[in-house]
Amino acid sequence: MNYKINKLDSTRLLDIGGLVLSGGRPILAIILAFLVSAVMIIIQGANPLEAYSAMLRGSFGSVAALANTCVRAAPLLLGGLGVALGVKAGLLNVGIEGQIYVGGSAAAAVGIMPIPVAPWLHLVLAVSAGFLGGAIWGLIPAYLKAYRGVSEIVVTLMLNYVGIQLCSLLVHEPSPLAEKGAFFPQSPPILASAQLPILIKGTSLHLGIILGLIAAIILAYVLFYTPFGMRTKMIGQNPEAARYAGVNVKKQTVVALILSCGLGGLAGTGEVLGLKLRLFDYFSGGLGYDAIAVALMANSNPVGVIFSALFFGALRAGAGKMETAVGIKAPIVQVIQALAVLFVIMIGFVEYNRKSKQDKRKEQMPEDTIYGSELNK
Amino acid sequence: MDLNSINDFLAAAIRMAAPLMLVGIGGVFTERSGIFNIGMEGTMLIGCMVSVYVSLVTGNLWLATLAAMLVGSLIGLIHAFLTVTRRADQIVTGAAINLFALGITNLLNSQLYAGFEYRPRVTMYPIVAPEVLQELPFIGPILFAQPVIVYLAFLLPVLATWILYKTSWGLNIRAVGDHPHAVATAGLSVNKLKYQGVIISGMFAGLGGAALVLADLGLFATGMTAGRGFAVLAALVVGKWNPVLVAAACILFGAADAFQLRAQTAQFAIPYQLFVMLPYLLTIAALAGLVGRTVGPKTVGKPYDPESI
Repeated sequence: MNYKINKLDSTRLLDIGGLVLSGGRPILAIILAFLVSAVMIIIQGANPLEAYSAMLRGSFGSVAALANTCVRAAPLLLGGLGVALGVKAGLLNVGIEGQIYVGGSAAAAVGIMPIPVAPWLHLVLAVSAGFLGGAIWGLIPAYLKAYRGVSEIVVTLMLNYVGIQLCSLLVHEPSPLAEKGAFFPQSPPILASAQLPILIKGTSLHLGIILGLIAAIILAYVLFYTPFGMRTKMIGQNPEAARYAGVNVKKQTVVALILSCGLGGLAGTGEVLGLKLRLFDYFSGGLGYDAIAVALMANSNPVGVIFSALFFGALRAGAGKMETAVGIKAPIVQVIQALAVLFVIMIGFVEYNRKSKQDKRKEQMPEDTIYGSELNK
Repeated sequence: MDLNSINDFLAAAIRMAAPLMLVGIGGVFTERSGIFNIGMEGTMLIGCMVSVYVSLVTGNLWLATLAAMLVGSLIGLIHAFLTVTRRADQIVTGAAINLFALGITNLLNSQLYAGFEYRPRVTMYPIVAPEVLQELPFIGPILFAQPVIVYLAFLLPVLATWILYKTSWGLNIRAVGDHPHAVATAGLSVNKLKYQGVIISGMFAGLGGAALVLADLGLFATGMTAGRGFAVLAALVVGKWNPVLVAAACILFGAADAFQLRAQTAQFAIPYQLFVMLPYLLTIAALAGLVGRTVGPKTVGKPYDPESI
């Protein structure tokens, strides 16, 4: 059985035509987005070629630029993987933003605690706390989805605000995580032993991007080459058939969603332990929503997520250089990224996916809506 | 709290609920027609900016309002095209609209007030009640010293309820969200009804954005909607997709918002963050079936495929 699964998947992986096609759509969308943005840049009185080359220099032009790109890509990569894992299981986790805050808070709680263990162990504990924080947070939508038939979409969306406020609550006195008498609501600094190590001296490039790459490879392996991955994809494509095949759909849903939320927590962990080095109010500022775009651009393929996270990271890293070089304001990169997403949707592999999924799902209508289900009646 | 600050709080609660209530009406129509629109948040933000821009250029408050509604409808049209005609994922499309709105408003923010030394406040909606009424003790400031848009926000849910439950078009909108195939069998265009629902939600989101600026603040700030569009999504669940109940939920959420602002400044015993969380926790509780039965329109979130039965 196992052998057969591997065989099936490896043949699918080697489908070069399909790979080119699925890579072609986002690339076409990105080109279109750059073209439309070029018009906006011309209207604002600058040369788009100059603007884009400045952006390229700012994102890949030097070691520092490359480091900046990777720093910005790290949370998008981990968050994007979280969304991608959910999508593979037929679950849309739009709550990465909240999981970033909860995971970041949990990591910070361990990171500021002087635990008498070896430094590497302290770091491992803090990172695990971040993952677990996100995962435990994910129990809420997972339970509601699997056992009460409540859509994970609305619950994770609503939990974003709860997570953001929870973090805010934790950095305000009298919370134990808040720094006493600080001018700004923040936690004490993360202890050196729990900080993610810096990879290149003189830059802020921390271990987060490596964590993301490892997670992507593990996720790709698990999804394509293990029975667990097979079960996950089965409940995503056709839960009814999965149940006939002996998959415990409820359990698999819970586990997949918890892992997805844990990856969201890990995204926040990297930010807190590697970049901000304290817990702050509103420290993410929308990374979790960008993670949805990252996963979408990659059609939820873990390896593709690496490239799409690097692309989004590069856009952000290059924005500052472009602003100083040609005077176009940095938020143009937000417009480029949103346009790229809209063009991907317009070109339509999402539709294609939904359609093929729907064809397989025709039999089981009731559980498929955003709100409630038959169970809830 | 003394009587004065209670009075002040209630007046603010009503004023802050008005934009939510307006967006909520549109939300009812789009979700009843079977299309989920989380892009209302971004649409609202763009509505804020458009209304400030038109107001600065023309100096006319009503033109500014109309422009915000028009641009909102346009965004609704895009959402409808992608989700109804192209059958794209409704959540992803809405999220993309939010990203775009955030990007474009951040980009244009510095140019919005170009030529002004400081950010001037634009003309606000007038307060129309006679001064005698405004000066009534206690209820005066709450009921009568409100900008005119607030009364509109209270009237429209009643009108929307009438349209939804007493007209045949309203019946069609409700039917298309629950049983699109039945609507198609009856010879009506499912897609047309869905387009109408989504465009209405865009229009009202634009209006809600205008109301946020022109009733309360008078100027644009980046990210100023701060999740109000998502709060409306929550209100739709708590209000069970009924315009009047949704409006009531919006008033509750507006009150929570007004209260947290006050709790932030006054050293209040309960952390203000709990009040910000309240609407979202309430929504999850409602969905989980902890506070009565909540079942949404049956096909929300699913693309309509005429060939699948």
